[in-house]
Amino acid sequence: MNETFSTLVKELQAIVGERNATDDRAICTSYSRDQHWHFVPAKNPACIVRPGNKEEVRTVLMLANTHKIPVIPYSTGINVRGLTIPVHDGSILLDLSRMNRILEINPDMKTATVEPGVTFGMLQEQTRKYKLRPAFPDAPLTVSVLANYYLRGIYQTSATDGHDHTISYEMILPNGETLKTGSRALSEMPYFRYGVGPDFAGMFCAHPGTCGVVTELTAKLYRLYDNRKEYFIGFDDVGTPTKFIYNLMHDELAASIRLVDNQSWLKGIFGTFDYPYEELPKFVLCVLVEGVDGIFDAKDTLVRAYMKECGGQVLELPAEFASTFEHESLSGAEKSCMVFGIKGRGNYHCIGLYGPLTLAAKYYEMHEKTALEVGIPQDHVHFYIDPIYRFHGQLCYFELDVFYDGSDEEFGDKLRNYNEKQFHRLLELGIYGWFRPYAGIIEPTAERIGYLAEVWKKFLHVLDPNEIMNRGKLF
Amino acid sequence: MELEKEEILSAIHHCVKCKLCSIASFHPNEEWLPLCPSGEYYGYQAFYAPGKMEIFRAILEGEITEPSEGLLKSVYACTVCGACYEKCKQITSVELGAPELFEEMRREMASKGWILDVHTSIADKIKETKNAYGEKYEYKVNAETTDGNADVLYYIGCTARYRVPEIADAMLGIFDKLGLKYQVMGEEWCCGSVLFRTGQVEAAKELVAHNVEEIKRSGAKTVVFTCPGCLKTFEKNYPDMGVELLHSTQFLTRQGNMNLKKEGLKAAYHDPCHLGRDLGIYEEPRAVLSEVADIKKMKREREQAWCCGSGGGVKSAFDDFALWSAAERLKEAKEAGAEALVSACPFCKRNLKEAAEKEQQGELEVYDIVELVNRCLEG
Repeated sequence: MNETFSTLVKELQAIVGERNATDDRAICTSYSRDQHWHFVPAKNPACIVRPGNKEEVRTVLMLANTHKIPVIPYSTGINVRGLTIPVHDGSILLDLSRMNRILEINPDMKTATVEPGVTFGMLQEQTRKYKLRPAFPDAPLTVSVLANYYLRGIYQTSATDGHDHTISYEMILPNGETLKTGSRALSEMPYFRYGVGPDFAGMFCAHPGTCGVVTELTAKLYRLYDNRKEYFIGFDDVGTPTKFIYNLMHDELAASIRLVDNQSWLKGIFGTFDYPYEELPKFVLCVLVEGVDGIFDAKDTLVRAYMKECGGQVLELPAEFASTFEHESLSGAEKSCMVFGIKGRGNYHCIGLYGPLTLAAKYYEMHEKTALEVGIPQDHVHFYIDPIYRFHGQLCYFELDVFYDGSDEEFGDKLRNYNEKQFHRLLELGIYGWFRPYAGIIEPTAERIGYLAEVWKKFLHVLDPNEIMNRGKLF
Repeated sequence: MELEKEEILSAIHHCVKCKLCSIASFHPNEEWLPLCPSGEYYGYQAFYAPGKMEIFRAILEGEITEPSEGLLKSVYACTVCGACYEKCKQITSVELGAPELFEEMRREMASKGWILDVHTSIADKIKETKNAYGEKYEYKVNAETTDGNADVLYYIGCTARYRVPEIADAMLGIFDKLGLKYQVMGEEWCCGSVLFRTGQVEAAKELVAHNVEEIKRSGAKTVVFTCPGCLKTFEKNYPDMGVELLHSTQFLTRQGNMNLKKEGLKAAYHDPCHLGRDLGIYEEPRAVLSEVADIKKMKREREQAWCCGSGGGVKSAFDDFALWSAAERLKEAKEAGAEALVSACPFCKRNLKEAAEKEQQGELEVYDIVELVNRCLEG
């Protein structure tokens, strides 16, 4: 590390405290790689800075901006797309995990305001006291609430939560200015997304730390009901259950609706490896009904009626499977991470996308076809669908998954080939959007969006003229 | 290295960095309970298991070529308590555990001379005095009560000899009160645990050879330990001597009705890492403790117990961190409604007691199970 940088580290230490900034090689190495390492190779940040409050964030950003040093915001560190792995030498990684206060839980407003270091587990522990819960991603409950909602507000474990959980937030820009979105800009009430003019919350979100640093975010909370019932229905293909899914979504009957194959996510949803999954039909639709007295019974009756005519096989399974499904859907994903333990594999690759239910069978067919073409064996090909309320456009989240041995370099090559083909094919077939922007996916996408790409770049330039914010992760 | 490089890298690549290893099982109680003392205290990713694995990868692949301060701290300020692995294997059924990897990492680093001075000085003390504390006096055992022909040999261990002798006293008291014949080693040398745990495997070989020889010569059929660290070392790092190795609580559960007088003490039981996670001994300590006290259950226990903070060479090198970890455990015991925190390990007791005196102003009593048993035995 050169002398200038050593001086900089001292300046950073003066801001956040000696203990909270370092350029130690080993400490930096621990931030050099995430689960996506077959696609984004390891690279060390030049230093790690751990601010404890927003003023420290502001001062660090202004210092970095003055010296035009790249800054990578990092919340709790669970990342599956290489979004916090540096592109450039000499980057500061801004580890925000010390900022882990739940600033408010407002049961009357059904909202929570959190800092970046708050995890879903931390938040659920508190919100459940009010019989409320956050909307959960199908990611470990160790992940940051703020980062997940900010990166993309659409989630999967409970269809009924819809796709917009972010209400408003506060973001510090490289020049030290603070931007507040929604009603937060006008008052101390951060409870309405559309406060002034355009939907600024929407404009800034889904940027992988490329605008500024979000230091507070207010999100929606959802009700926890006492009445719950789970059903598991087996199907031999992806097409047959789509009518049933449509009916459930159209009548708004079920909280969680997940179509998964019997060899991957189902193991996590049921919480055990020890079950003859291969004896189940190839796809299993997991349905969770909830609601207040009266309404719950009515919903349940309708779900049963649709179930009779759905063309699937209603499965009788151990009671604890239903209980685990409930926990994983409504209180945070933990056992779901058992997918990382599918024997001999230990890593996963997925293309997450949004699209209409009408294309479900085609997405799966294309997934299988491309995988086989690049030499990925059939038994590594997995899939799931989570429909999302209010179901305009038959909105669903799809995951085209491959579970594999993370230490197998050759398999990494196959997956890179897979991506190369599949990104283009999916864009040709038609999708609503990607799960998140990340390396490899943004390039073919930007080619297709015409002048919007130019506007997008100019928009980022206004916020970050020196291009210090996670430089290279988008354009 | 004991493990092959490819095997290690494969295990490292299997970590997807979900970091569920850093918290106790969330469901069904839905409480956020950290499990990794090192990560919680120091904060940087380097101090959590996934970050440490990344550092190990970089060492093996030649990216890290110098022992920076952060390297030494992140690797050695870890009690190698294994809580991360217990959680990980529940979720991912991973076979090669983090403690094994981290001990291998220390071996690899020690082979390069990347080791803390304080740990090499312990090795020096052991070389000179045959105990980890460099003490030159002998712990006194009443020669009249021992029997050189007894089938049972009590291996006392350095910490019970020189830092918390009340544990050794209590164990000897139990033998006497129960009228059991026992012997101790004429020349008991350190078991070598601290050397194995800090990567100084070569330095431990002499100790192993001596202790094995002494035990064989004693003719004992059973060796009893009050120190789980010593027991683990004998179980995992020593050759099979053809003798039975038992922890004191296992030994006591075999004694049948001991006529213990229950005191009504409200006690939380702290699972020592070496006893629980390493050796799977969870039931016997609880069975014995329940004979003398009312057990108050803590939130983190058994496989997911919070470490006391002293193992893996941490107490000697990072005492502030060790005491902080212990204070966290004391808080948990207090929240459980306990008047005392009881463990079954001299190393745990020492650290917990120091923290109780320093951080908690002695609000909680700290005991080893054998102390309570000795006290409650009708003499």
